[in-house]
Amino acid sequence: MIELRNVTKTFGLTTALKDVSFEIEKGEIIGFVGPNGAGKSTAMKIITTYTAPTSGTAIIGGFDVLENPYEVRKIIGYLPETVPLYYDMLVYDYLEFMGQARHLNGNLQSRMNWVIEACHLDVVLHRPIGELSKGFKQRVCLAQALIHDPEVLILDEPTSGLDPLQIVGIRNLIKSLAHEKTIMVSTHILQEVSSIADRILVINNGQIIADGKFEALRARIKTDNVFYMDVAVGKETVLAGLKAIDGIEKLDFLPGTNDSRTQVNIHYQGEELPRQLDQEIKKQNWPLNEFRLETLSLEDTFIQLTSPGKTAEEVAKEGGEA
Amino acid sequence: MTDIMIIFRREFKAYFYSPIAYVFGVIFILLNAGIYMFHFFFYGNASMREFFSILPITLALIFIPAISMRLWSEEKKLGTIELLFTLPMKSADIVLGKFLASLVFYLIALAGTLVIPIMLFFFGSPDIGPIIGGYFGAILLGAFFLAIGIFISGFFNDQIVSLIITSLSCGVLALVGWQYVPMVIDGWINGLGDFLYNYIGVTRHFNDIERGVIDLRSIVYFLSFTVLFLILNIKHLDGRKY
Repeated sequence: MIELRNVTKTFGLTTALKDVSFEIEKGEIIGFVGPNGAGKSTAMKIITTYTAPTSGTAIIGGFDVLENPYEVRKIIGYLPETVPLYYDMLVYDYLEFMGQARHLNGNLQSRMNWVIEACHLDVVLHRPIGELSKGFKQRVCLAQALIHDPEVLILDEPTSGLDPLQIVGIRNLIKSLAHEKTIMVSTHILQEVSSIADRILVINNGQIIADGKFEALRARIKTDNVFYMDVAVGKETVLAGLKAIDGIEKLDFLPGTNDSRTQVNIHYQGEELPRQLDQEIKKQNWPLNEFRLETLSLEDTFIQLTSPGKTAEEVAKEGGEA
Repeated sequence: MTDIMIIFRREFKAYFYSPIAYVFGVIFILLNAGIYMFHFFFYGNASMREFFSILPITLALIFIPAISMRLWSEEKKLGTIELLFTLPMKSADIVLGKFLASLVFYLIALAGTLVIPIMLFFFGSPDIGPIIGGYFGAILLGAFFLAIGIFISGFFNDQIVSLIITSLSCGVLALVGWQYVPMVIDGWINGLGDFLYNYIGVTRHFNDIERGVIDLRSIVYFLSFTVLFLILNIKHLDGRKY
């Protein structure tokens, strides 16, 4: 349904997209993930025909964005990242205008009623858009994207700036549209991706660096095994006790550590450690608070994909310096 | 409804969403009629000569830029241009819809000054030819300046910048042909004022029409430049690469 063929886009000296190719099947929900400035919005602007690629092309529903932009525009509903709206217009007038602009005639009223209900806009229908809260603005813009019942939905960060309740609302709306539409959702909120997307495309520095199901992506990342241990003895005691165990690569003491309590992440290699550790704890008779295998969080997965081999702190520090 | 009509309706209504339209209308009529009434009482002539003499300058410097500045600058600032250009519409239809909305808004303001000729017919017997010619010229001149304004508006995110650049551009076009200005310029550089008057200034063409001399060349001049700037606007927007 959506196919990018060797798309490159440059703005002066900066390259926003470098030879990007991917394909999205009809009915798929794609999570489009990447740090800010990775090229998500640029790719979406090319798909929606707002910007032309410098080289390469995109085929949407069988139409080339360069040769047949009007046919492409007819089948796409687009929610831009900036949530652009005419602030002076009333919500009702705006939806009517966008419906007319999408050439809805006989079914304009029924489509308007549908989006008003789906996006819960009935309470703000006759208010100027500029007076609405961020959440309502977002929903008005989403309503605009849905009004012509498009086959393809391009949503650029549809939940940014919303409160948790509104996020769940929009997520459920997107889920309810699944499988009848092809949906591409960009975001940097990873819980969102794992909860709604069939497939994830990770983009960084203008290149697709990963493509697949979330679990598959997580399995791809090679990291140390990490065990978290929280015991009610001092740091020195733990250090002395752990000396006996082979295979430990690194100990990360967490801030909760003091003279009578130790919280530590144990990085290790091999399979033996949990059993050895368990025996050691029993032998020493350390009072145990917590003991668990750390799995990579969504954020860590994301960081490992975009900046391999770095920790969240390192990435944050680099970001701060840059 | 055609695409032009859909855009026209939104754009035309947009002028009335804010109080600017009403403020504009009042100032337009008060200023133009006010300057004229001064002459009217001073000389006591039942003609609109003075009205049409000052009109190109007020249109160029204030009124037309104030109407045209928002046409694209507002869309760019709000980001709505992104949705506008992902609608299944041709750029030409969008530009024409916007241009016509601004033109109709201008015509309504201009129609407000019709109280002057009505008053003249009450108090005297003015020559109707120059008045009709004057209004005809004012429509052509307004369309020409609006086309320049919408073209310039396409370059800037800020309405005020659009206003100032349009005001400067139209102002130069109007002033180089206005009253004694060509002679003053000739005094600085011999021949330049004459050249500007003949080839660049719009006032000469406006005065021809206003005198009741409906010269086809002047009409062609206004219409062709209006069309030219609208085409430039369409080309500029189609070539966008942001």
